[in-house]
Amino acid sequence: MSEEFNPKVLGFLCNWCCYAAADSAGVSRYQYPPNLRTIRVMCTGRLDPAFVLKGFAEGAAGIFTGG
Amino acid sequence: MEAGRSPNIEILSNADFLGLDGKAGDFTAKVRLRPRYIDADKCTACGLCTKYCPRHLVDEYNEGLALTRPIHIDYPQAVPATYFIDPDACMHLQHGTCKICVPVCRSKAIDFDQKAETRQINVGAVIMSPGFGRVPEEALTKYSYGDHPDVVTSLEFERLLNPSGPFMGEVRCISDKRHPKNIAFIQCVGSRDLGCNNGYCSSVCCMYAIKEAMVAKEHDPDCEITVYYMDMRTQGKDFDAARTRAEEQFGIKFVRAKVADVMPWERQLKLTYATMDGKHHFEGYDMVVLSVGLDSPADAKNLAKTGAFDLNHYDFCKTSTFAPLASSHDGVLVAGAFQGPKDIPESVTQSSAAAGLVSGLIKKQRGKGVVTKTYPDEQAVAEDDEVRIGVFVCHCGINIAGVVDVAKVANYAGEMEDVTYYAESLYSCSQDAQEVLKQRIKEHRLNRVVIAACSPRTHEPLFQETLKDAGLNRSLFEMVNIRDHCSWVHANEPAAATDKSMDLVRMGVAKARNIKPLPEQTVPVTTKALVLGGGIAGMTAALNMADQGFQTYIVEKNGQLGGQLLKQHYTLQGDKVADLVKDVTGKIKKNKLIEVFTDADLSAVNGFVGNFTSTITVGKKETSVDHGIIVVATGGKYHQPETVLGAKLPDSKAIVTQNELEKQLAGKGKTRAPKSAVMIQCAGSRGDDLAYCSKTCCNDAVKNALKIKEINSASQVVVLYREMRTYGYAEDAYREAREKGVIFIPYAKDQMPKIDKKGAKAEVSFHDPILLEDVTIAPDQVILSVGIVPEDTEDISKLLKIPINADRFFLEAHVKLRPVEMPVAGVYVCGLAHAPKPLDEIIVQAQAAAAKAAIPLVKGYVSVEPTVSNVDKDACIGCGLCESLCPYKAIQIHKIDKKRKAETIVASCKGCGICASHCPTFAISMGGFTDEQITAQIKAFGEMREE
Amino acid sequence: MAQAKNKGAGAVMVVGGGVAGVQAALDLTELGYYVYLVEKSAAIGGAMAQLDKTFPTNDCSL
Repeated sequence: MSEEFNPKVLGFLCNWCCYAAADSAGVSRYQYPPNLRTIRVMCTGRLDPAFVLKGFAEGAAGIFTGG
Repeated sequence: MEAGRSPNIEILSNADFLGLDGKAGDFTAKVRLRPRYIDADKCTACGLCTKYCPRHLVDEYNEGLALTRPIHIDYPQAVPATYFIDPDACMHLQHGTCKICVPVCRSKAIDFDQKAETRQINVGAVIMSPGFGRVPEEALTKYSYGDHPDVVTSLEFERLLNPSGPFMGEVRCISDKRHPKNIAFIQCVGSRDLGCNNGYCSSVCCMYAIKEAMVAKEHDPDCEITVYYMDMRTQGKDFDAARTRAEEQFGIKFVRAKVADVMPWERQLKLTYATMDGKHHFEGYDMVVLSVGLDSPADAKNLAKTGAFDLNHYDFCKTSTFAPLASSHDGVLVAGAFQGPKDIPESVTQSSAAAGLVSGLIKKQRGKGVVTKTYPDEQAVAEDDEVRIGVFVCHCGINIAGVVDVAKVANYAGEMEDVTYYAESLYSCSQDAQEVLKQRIKEHRLNRVVIAACSPRTHEPLFQETLKDAGLNRSLFEMVNIRDHCSWVHANEPAAATDKSMDLVRMGVAKARNIKPLPEQTVPVTTKALVLGGGIAGMTAALNMADQGFQTYIVEKNGQLGGQLLKQHYTLQGDKVADLVKDVTGKIKKNKLIEVFTDADLSAVNGFVGNFTSTITVGKKETSVDHGIIVVATGGKYHQPETVLGAKLPDSKAIVTQNELEKQLAGKGKTRAPKSAVMIQCAGSRGDDLAYCSKTCCNDAVKNALKIKEINSASQVVVLYREMRTYGYAEDAYREAREKGVIFIPYAKDQMPKIDKKGAKAEVSFHDPILLEDVTIAPDQVILSVGIVPEDTEDISKLLKIPINADRFFLEAHVKLRPVEMPVAGVYVCGLAHAPKPLDEIIVQAQAAAAKAAIPLVKGYVSVEPTVSNVDKDACIGCGLCESLCPYKAIQIHKIDKKRKAETIVASCKGCGICASHCPTFAISMGGFTDEQITAQIKAFGEMREE
Repeated sequence: MAQAKNKGAGAVMVVGGGVAGVQAALDLTELGYYVYLVEKSAAIGGAMAQLDKTFPTNDCSL
């Protein structure tokens, strides 16, 4: 395993706060690691625990929820 | 800001207001539009021109702390998002040279031939909201501002804190870029200062200073911050709590002192200040922030002349207590800081109120000027239709293409299943790109559109509009954010950013495959209003609703209208309260659209926005009324404290409240003014029975102290206070009281005065911080400045499912931007039920609530975002879990054919999806966020590509 | 979006495009009126656009 550790993280972002925060991180040009892939939801209340399990089953190294 | 998108707002920026003729209802205004030298329709705000423009210009947006170019835009989110050329700095416009921007601009937007244009515009009414100006230079220079770069104004400091500011959000000294180890804030710069003719209090500086200090602490927890103040005026709702947090959690020091001067001192600044006891001290600081006040706008006199209205003695717009937004010119209203210095929520409240007043004023013209857009018929997309996805990948100039390999992403999308068409686009949001999008949808019979560009939060409505223009249901759309969430934040990792973009596009396409058209839903509205409470807030709201043409019911629990106003006699400004009561109740009696229920209770409320049915109980008689909205104006009352100054209040006839004193002073007896009086501020508030500040008691104390002095100038009045919060123009009265010999003595929370009963009198002992002595006096009367408590909010909260805060006042939907709306749609709040506040603010807030409440009634329907929940009746088992969890009262269990089934009340649903994620039988799906769609996205996430 | 057509008395002029002016304009359109929003600088937003965060919740201002 000489390969660089490059995990893929799946994120669920609330439209009103965390997604908006990610937008303003962009506007402010904050730099962060490119490992996150996001799914926008209208509220993290939408998250069925099954989504999290499914994410892991699909190979996510971690699940991020932001709400 | 959404103003840029409304077809009914025409933004005339870079424009001057030059003239106003005619009368209310039929004005002609003259406006001059200065040239931008850039064609707004062509400019895509790519920023290339600024990069090439050779000349530097001081950036005013960054308070002169950074540089920009003559051709620029103030900030990336500006509306209109069009660059402009500053003619005073442009080399071409000044010297006829350069013009490098013309060939650089790819969309050929630069046009040096633009000329100023004057327009005559016919309007029914005018709202003046020019904001505020800067305090005079001399108020700053006395603190070495201008002499030393590390003395900055609070506005400059605000920019230093901002990530888009001059040091990218790092706080650094301007002199040598070092991080300051300690910072001093000086309050009341250019406020409460007759030296620069600003005798008023600017009302916002204490709050923003605390905010800036806290943010600075977040940036650098080791930085020591001291705030030098006269009175910390954090009288707003929940503001005291933030101040306590600043002190206790953030370790910010507050020192009550007058700063004499600030002098350069080696690498630092020496601040000399005098404390209450008359002693002088000095301290060295790396940086000094001047908390500058709000002045009247620089062009106030011109505006007043043009608009033909009067200014007050501070050059703000002149208004009265009972009509706080009416200028002296009929049909010209005022809102925001130009009415008097104020913060954002109050400005926003005044704006809504002014809009509502205008709406009443020119009711007959309603709807005559507005533009309604029409769309082609929607193309049907059936379940088994072939999925034809179009993917458009945006370059956003160089914003995306400068990092992400856009061609690679587009080609990758092209290979995906069901993708019939793919393309790159230089600026997919530009006007011509919208036309192209429409054509491609038709040419390739696309029935799903994926745009990989920026944020759906800003641009989804634009593209959805184009979809509608192309005859597609607007839900058949998915946006992938490869700019804000990718190219901008991974600027140095182009390969990884391209990789991420491809993953995100794949997930977006996977979702798009599962998107179904969603119906546009609207719910009709009963165009009637119900106002709960018949005090001044309720009456004002009802009158405004009726002025706007809507039938209104007032439910008042007492036998007559008027509420707390019936107990008041005069205002600080000298107005007679009885006149107001008579005027307003008279208007209500005469108004045919208003029906009043007195001695009445609201016993039941059913329904939702637009369709409420309520039961009003008067004695044993029940009346059922239908209405579209509810204004909650249940008011408050004077608190009767048990604990005052941290101790149990002794029982004595010599101890009265300010309100009782007011009644006594309003009488006719010659000896009605006490010969000696001690007023106790914050009696029962701010740590006694009540935790909060009631905002009005300092004004009431000054009002009554002045009245005592007016009746008997020999009377001795002492006011014991923690902080005199006579904000705004009330500062004038506070000053007048001191000039007339009222003695104001501060006390500290850890050294409270004591009230004892002594025979028929009461005795007050306190520490005098100026004489440094303990003093005991036995005045004729001890007057308690008691706070205000809300009435019956708990019951109403349960009845309407609206939240209350820790102090039992109703909690609004958004403290800054939606100050009169409740989280439950169709319910609005105003007056003392929201928070303690003085009469003029209550009137404005009631007008604002009426304006907001009128919106669904004017429309006649409530439109619903398609992202609401939807119950599959066959799968629903009627367990009721969703009903109990819904925070918006938007899902209810009904009996359908004797079986319990959940049903969404679409008008109230916010689309959060809590119901869907908890439904044990997966019977609830969310529009645009179905289980299938999210699962498909997760699955697509897993389909990693092998490079 | 430049409509040269006069909207008559069903229109309202709002002078000043800061947060107060913008809010008034938005509410007026919702109440059924056409609005001319006159701003002397190149973009609307006023002083609020310069703010980083707002008191007391420290929310973002934009």
